[in-house]
Amino acid sequence: MSTLEVILNAEFARRVRSRAFIAGTAIGVITMLLFALLPGLIHRGVGNSARRVILIAPPALAQPAARLLRANFEVVEILPRLDQRPTSAFLDAHRQASAVVILARSPAGLHAVAYVRDPSQFRSAFARDLAPLQIALATGMPVTKIVDHVAVPVDVHDVAGRFADVGAADAAKGAAFVFIFLLYLAILLNAQAILTSVAEEKTSRIAEVLVAAVDPTQLLAAKILAVTATGFLQLGVWIATGVLVGNAYTAAFTAGDVGANAGPLAVSPAEILLFVAFFVVGFAQYGVLYAAAASLISRTEDIGSVAGPLVLPVAGAIVLAQFGLLFPNSPAIVACSFIPLVAPFVMFTRIAVSPVPDWQLALSLTINVAVACGLALLAGRVYRVGLLLYGRPPTLRQIVATLRS
Amino acid sequence: MGSLVLSDVTRSFGAIAAVRGVSFDVAAGTTFGLLGPNGAGKTTTMRMILGILVPDRGTVSWDGAPITLRVRRRFGYLPEERGLYGKLHVREQIAYFGRLHGIAPPHDVRRADAWIERLGLEDDATRPCGELSKGNQQKVQIACAALHEPDLLVLDEPFSGLDPVNADVILAALRALQRAGTSLILSSHQMWQIEDLCQRFCIVAQGEVRAAGTLTELRSAWPTRVVEVEPSSAALRAVLDATPSAHALATDGRPTLAYELPVAADTAALLRRLVDAGDVTRFARIEPSLHDIYLRAIGSTA
Repeated sequence: MSTLEVILNAEFARRVRSRAFIAGTAIGVITMLLFALLPGLIHRGVGNSARRVILIAPPALAQPAARLLRANFEVVEILPRLDQRPTSAFLDAHRQASAVVILARSPAGLHAVAYVRDPSQFRSAFARDLAPLQIALATGMPVTKIVDHVAVPVDVHDVAGRFADVGAADAAKGAAFVFIFLLYLAILLNAQAILTSVAEEKTSRIAEVLVAAVDPTQLLAAKILAVTATGFLQLGVWIATGVLVGNAYTAAFTAGDVGANAGPLAVSPAEILLFVAFFVVGFAQYGVLYAAAASLISRTEDIGSVAGPLVLPVAGAIVLAQFGLLFPNSPAIVACSFIPLVAPFVMFTRIAVSPVPDWQLALSLTINVAVACGLALLAGRVYRVGLLLYGRPPTLRQIVATLRS
Repeated sequence: MGSLVLSDVTRSFGAIAAVRGVSFDVAAGTTFGLLGPNGAGKTTTMRMILGILVPDRGTVSWDGAPITLRVRRRFGYLPEERGLYGKLHVREQIAYFGRLHGIAPPHDVRRADAWIERLGLEDDATRPCGELSKGNQQKVQIACAALHEPDLLVLDEPFSGLDPVNADVILAALRALQRAGTSLILSSHQMWQIEDLCQRFCIVAQGEVRAAGTLTELRSAWPTRVVEVEPSSAALRAVLDATPSAHALATDGRPTLAYELPVAADTAALLRRLVDAGDVTRFARIEPSLHDIYLRAIGSTA
């Protein structure tokens, strides 16, 4: 068994048994449950009431209007008139309705007045839904006939032929968002574990014993590999949870809820491979940076001071990845998908929602693997030097001078 | 088994010269004491032997060749400041360090168990190291450093902070390693413990070698000897006072006459003169202790 394997096995076992890993994995599982269930539950609990309206209209208008509104609203009650201005208590008394809509006919046509709980939540679909009634009143044509003529069937296809329909594209965006979040969570939790582990070994002087028998670069490499393996294990648990809960949720609830618009998630083996590749590269880049930074501190209390700045690029990458979901082929996002530390997040977003030219994938991977190797070499030197530096944290100038010596 | 040679080894940290031109050798299977006050350069010297630090000048060699990582894996190291994984159990910890030095399973655990028994740690074998007393942690650390039966074991202050019982246990373990042929380099402030253990010594101060050799060689280089005479009578005191270059020493109230004489002084002739002057119940020619030699070498009073 090589030294690398010995350290790798020991580090992996130590991490998997650690409270931090168990707690982190549990947090991820809970997050996945929330991702899978919460939007639907919120929608079922709140969303339906947001669609409930009370219609106030004369009988001649009320029936055709109610039929038209059925597409997007639930008309909980129809009243011929309203004697006073409606209040929240009035809405509460009518199945927690969100709005009262008073419909009247004037010489100019239909006119609606809405009293709502939350104007920002009031759906503009109301006017669109009632448009056929307005036309019917103006032209004398039957409403049903107008509805038949107004409805224009639209089939949406993406030019690359990648998604079967809009639902599949929505599903890909959702998956990309979840994967990005998982990568963020995995980096945050496991890079923090590297930081703590290196700092602990250094402050307890175990490092001194280790580097007497092991090449520091090998030690660093084994740590990064162990943490990457731990990260994958964690990721596997989270994804399995997400898939199981997602499937159970889909089977338990039928159309009409959130998620019903999302189509089946089609992820090709090539995309999975690319995700794994960018995950490993991103993990390695952040892992070596965290390990090198940890080797420079002498007290575990100083962990926060080095961890803070390293969270910034991750946070920046998350923000950029959100833009990547919306504008996957904009020049700025394309450029970001080559930049180390950011690319693992942004490129995966692009892969998930839009076809990415092969040359861009190859170039991004090449740049990022090269930078990961370069960072590893640099971090190895910082680590080698930093492990034996005690006392006040060295200044940047001291670090550079030591690396040059 | 090989031999270690340090030749003109120098190492500075910025403007501070921690080790300056240190040279010594440790023959195969011998025990070598590296002595010196705090900040003398002992730990830096040990770190250079182990390849943790690289000398600015000079060489460190094992069996006539530079020390590689492969050679270093046959060394063991106990640093001055103890380092153990607090949450790892005793047996796991010892076995892990064994594996790092090339002891493959299941031998790593078997040897760990043997060391646990040797050091009397059976009741703690499955306890996390962080829960052990300082003395027991020290024992675990010794086992971690020695499990792979190293060719060279470097121990920085192995007895520091130990009670006499635990110190004896560790002393016994080191003697067992000596018998097994392991070369030992150790530093200690407890002179009485390493005086018996070491065949050769090197006393360093301010990064330089101040004295080196076997205890006999160090003593032979000592310029004076002490003679103690009893009873403390006026007649005997008169003889001693009349001896050329003899200086009376304080005896802290003991009924003894103590005098320092040049090493070349004829003590046999002095004894004859004392016997002629009166009854002599005790006459002793005291060799300097390692403690005396150490204090003189580092520039303190002996």
